[in-house]
Amino acid sequence: MTLILILPAALLISLVFLFPLVHYLWLSSKAFSVMTGLVAINNNGANWIRLLNDQRFWQDIYQTTRFAITSVSLELLLAIIIAIILDQRIKGRGLIRAITLLPWALPTAVMALGWRWIFNSPYGPIEQITSLLGLEPINILSTPEITWMATVIADVWKTTPFIALIILAGLQSIPYDLYEALRLEGGNQYSAFIKITIPLISPYIFLSLVFRLAQAFGVFDLIQVMTGGGPASSTESIAMYAYINAMRFLDFGYSATIMIGSFLLLSTSCFLAYLIINQTKSLISNQKP
Amino acid sequence: MRRKSALLTIILMWSLLPLIFQLYTSLSTPEALIRPFSSISERWTLENYRQILNLNPPFWVYLFNSTILGLITTFLTLIISIPASYALARSKTKTTEGIRLILFGVALFPYVLLFLSLLQIAREFNLGNNLFALSIPYTALSLPLAILLLSAAFKEISTELEEASILEGFNLFQRLKLILLPILWPAIASTSILVFIFSWNEFPIALTWISNSNLLTLPVAMARIAGSSVYSIPYGLYAAATVMGSVPLLILVLIYQRKIVSGLTQGAIKG
Repeated sequence: MTLILILPAALLISLVFLFPLVHYLWLSSKAFSVMTGLVAINNNGANWIRLLNDQRFWQDIYQTTRFAITSVSLELLLAIIIAIILDQRIKGRGLIRAITLLPWALPTAVMALGWRWIFNSPYGPIEQITSLLGLEPINILSTPEITWMATVIADVWKTTPFIALIILAGLQSIPYDLYEALRLEGGNQYSAFIKITIPLISPYIFLSLVFRLAQAFGVFDLIQVMTGGGPASSTESIAMYAYINAMRFLDFGYSATIMIGSFLLLSTSCFLAYLIINQTKSLISNQKP
Repeated sequence: MRRKSALLTIILMWSLLPLIFQLYTSLSTPEALIRPFSSISERWTLENYRQILNLNPPFWVYLFNSTILGLITTFLTLIISIPASYALARSKTKTTEGIRLILFGVALFPYVLLFLSLLQIAREFNLGNNLFALSIPYTALSLPLAILLLSAAFKEISTELEEASILEGFNLFQRLKLILLPILWPAIASTSILVFIFSWNEFPIALTWISNSNLLTLPVAMARIAGSSVYSIPYGLYAAATVMGSVPLLILVLIYQRKIVSGLTQGAIKG
């Protein structure tokens, strides 16, 4: 009985998640592109050698990592502050929560277009203000050194609410008695934050960190619509590079190799991050009396 | 107290300003956009909205497509995930713990990487340009989170209530319909909204599966408008599209804020 109930879900999930992994592994060992007449030919790992020597792949790995780490750390910091404020008793809390949630709920592709206009040069509001102040135009979306920061800002705007809500759930699960007890023992607000709040919300922080890092590493819509990967490929993410190889160069073998390669890198770094966080966690819990 | 409301204002501004700016842009004439700080006689216009509704196909077609796709996906996800969650919640073996862990890992997977294989499947079985077909991968992508949320909710229901109804002679279908689902209603509602939002916002798979411009979903249509002209981008038109594409979700979030929050947070606590 149990099996029958689970079967449809299991089949669909394996079709959509497991099949691609097997399919990519197979593809990554083949030359399979418009050059081979869309026929799969064994190429003895040539895709993998090409990947290791592909400057653009490593550049994109660097860019995607830089994007993911910068935006997720900013998001986490802001989310903790926002969650603490939303945790207070305030009038109209429902409406306020709805408004803070709004950026998360809107389609990324749609708002990416909105941000493109905000950063537009010379007519977007930011450039209008700099010109009003008599400053040089910044050309945010056409200066390779800073364009990626604009994508970070848009991502922070979009996904901070998600982390904030999860951390808010953590804050609201802390029984008030704990704070009361600490206050009776003569602890101040700061020590309450360090001794009670942080340790008790750390599972929530950990969860949202893992979730967001994985998502940020697969960033696609935001950058595709906001910058198209430019200027000079400076904001191109891994997922975009795989997409371009498949859809523009019609090189499916290499596209699959990029995806398997980045997936391997991602899972290794997730595992390492997990080890590090576990270590720090046990360090923190050892400090507790 | 004053510091708190100051901080609160900053947070609300941060969330709202980009949206308000879109609204302002969508109602402005091109002259007003180019020279916002000088005095122009004609500053406000509804021209952008008129144009976007007269595009070929008109903009509401995309809203309609996204809504239909969202509803089908939500429905499919529910009818597949509810039985699976029930089974998962009711059996307590090592395998179910393993399944839960696998589901969690799958829910984390950056699904954008799946597009190439999914495209291959679409080509093989001729599933491109079909919103019903597109709802199949959407459902599969929504299942892990839906099952995690719903099985956590099933676990809350005491087995005694169910055993009593078994003694009354109710079969599984009757038990689900008359006893379990009414109690589960809040969890089902939160899950539905999260699935609907995911489906409404999904981009890479819709981008590769749909090419017929009458069947485009909202995000892909927006990206198409963005890619259409590199040099003279009609930002007023864009902004009107952004506003129109945001309004349905804005309403959804305002009405179901509580459900969304509880869905997300339940997922965080029990997932």
